[in-house]
Amino acid sequence: MTARILVAEDEILAAMALEDELLRAGYEVVLAPDGLAALTQAERSPPDLLLTDLRMPRLDGGGLIRRLREVRPDLPVVVMTGYAPPGGGEAFRRPGEAPVTVFPKPVDMDLLVATLRDLLAP
Amino acid sequence: MASALSLFDQTRIARPGLCQILPPEVLALHIVSDLAIGLAYFSIPAAIAVFVMRRRDLVFSWVFWLFAAFIIACGTTHFVHVWGLFSPDWWREGIVKAVCAVISVVTAVALWPLLPRALALPSPAALRREVEERRAAEARALRSEARMSAFIANLPEALFVLRTAPGGNFRYEAVNPAFERLFGLSRAQAEGGNPEALLPPAIAQAVLPRWRQCAAEGRRLDYAAEAETPNGFRAWQTVLVPMQGADGQVDQLLGTARDVTETRRLQLGLVQNARLATVGTMCAGLAHEMSQPLNIATLWLRRAQSGAAERLPQAIAVVEGQLRRIADLVARIRALASAEDAAPVRFDAAPVVAAAVGTMARQAVDEDVEVTLEPAPAPLPVRGQPARLEEALLHLLANAREACAARRAADPSAPARITVRLLSDSRTGEAVVEVQDTGPGIPDALAERIFDPFFTTKEPGTGVGLGLTFALGVAHAMGGRIEAHNPVEGGACLRLILRLDQDPQAAAEAQRG
Repeated sequence: MTARILVAEDEILAAMALEDELLRAGYEVVLAPDGLAALTQAERSPPDLLLTDLRMPRLDGGGLIRRLREVRPDLPVVVMTGYAPPGGGEAFRRPGEAPVTVFPKPVDMDLLVATLRDLLAP
Repeated sequence: MASALSLFDQTRIARPGLCQILPPEVLALHIVSDLAIGLAYFSIPAAIAVFVMRRRDLVFSWVFWLFAAFIIACGTTHFVHVWGLFSPDWWREGIVKAVCAVISVVTAVALWPLLPRALALPSPAALRREVEERRAAEARALRSEARMSAFIANLPEALFVLRTAPGGNFRYEAVNPAFERLFGLSRAQAEGGNPEALLPPAIAQAVLPRWRQCAAEGRRLDYAAEAETPNGFRAWQTVLVPMQGADGQVDQLLGTARDVTETRRLQLGLVQNARLATVGTMCAGLAHEMSQPLNIATLWLRRAQSGAAERLPQAIAVVEGQLRRIADLVARIRALASAEDAAPVRFDAAPVVAAAVGTMARQAVDEDVEVTLEPAPAPLPVRGQPARLEEALLHLLANAREACAARRAADPSAPARITVRLLSDSRTGEAVVEVQDTGPGIPDALAERIFDPFFTTKEPGTGVGLGLTFALGVAHAMGGRIEAHNPVEGGACLRLILRLDQDPQAAAEAQRG
């Protein structure tokens, strides 16, 4: 079964390119331009992983993660942000929850895809 | 008759002594009394003489000698009288009486003119009182002087007395310990020395012109100065008071210098911290702003590489657009960096306001604060530095956002909205940027103080209170001002009022219209 990734990204050009990459990597992709839209999409078609920006209108990445984790503590999350220090793929994990992996922008796409593969491995 | 005559003759020639006529007991009474009086009269002048000779400081001592002579003369008449009882001689008695009379009259005459001067002399009791009072006053003065010198020695303010010297020079006349501490000059070095030679050149350059000015104008002078001293950075505030000599020329300057080094250091540090905080915020913001276009460009380059050839023109357009976004950011950083010393230029305030509002709108999204801009109907030409105006507006907007957040914290259902309006009145020649928030408004008690440097209602560590001060400084530099009021509908409204830089023709038309 194809894993479904929910992509929350307010920059449409970034979202388009990400969608391309993820489709090519063999995932099903659901796009959302902000946090509230992402919540609606998550209800409609529950994702296997959340790939999100932090700064977004209406509901930011932090709020989105908190609200999704209330119902899906096992949902793996990958954050892409311009605020993170250089590097990439650092994982933060709270007890009883799936890890949050942080990627600084610009995103190293090969590393991201490898990380997604690990996180979504059965 | 003959016997009577002979008796008379006998009396004249050899008067019979009263001792032969008087009863012996009466005679004895006279003799003893006269001898006692005479002896007493002789002993009194002896006492007077001893007194006068011992008391060298006696005033009018000649009077005492006159008294002594007068009393001796009186005593002598008594002895002569006793002598006359046995061997009467009217000549002898008369001459002695005459001498006594002369001395008595002289004494009596001399005494009267002396009386007022003698009366003017203080009595011993008065003298004693006077001496006691003088001693008490001296004790008081001593205590007061001791208090005064303890006060001056312990005064935290540096005290110094300068004596003017020819050629606009000065000499230190006196300094206190606080002076020694503040300027690193010991009292022994300073007193009598030439300040120009003693003080570090930086301090001398800072203070000597002030001293000369004070001495020349003869008026009290206040000044603040700061310099690097042998004891490190020092800042002080001085009050100089000129003192005039007998000729009416200023010959002394009394100075007190208050050490404000700590306050100044704190102030400088706070300003520096405020700048660093601004720089920190700016850098974080810039990093984020630049990461977005870089991310998109990178993704699209990759997309072009891996995709079909028809995607290439699209990818090139996207990458070009993102690179331009980065170029714009770089241009803004450059403008900020050069804002400090840039010359004022004529520019349209509307896009600057729009840029500031855009920046704040992106930041305020996190706190769910809505920021709206009601655009200007026409361009708003003003004069100044665009980057500084943008920074000033960001401070106003940041305060508005914090006010909204504060209200929201107290009442989660309260609206959180910042409305920015651009107005222009060509008749008054003013452009107005109104920043209205839905916060708690400005308390009446604080209305006077919100523009004060370092005035802040924020928690320690969250703001230093320079934002509005900075904004006001920018407004002043642009020939404008900031007004604050609480609108009836609630919240606070700050109006940044700037002078329109109209071209003369348009201004004239506006006046006529």
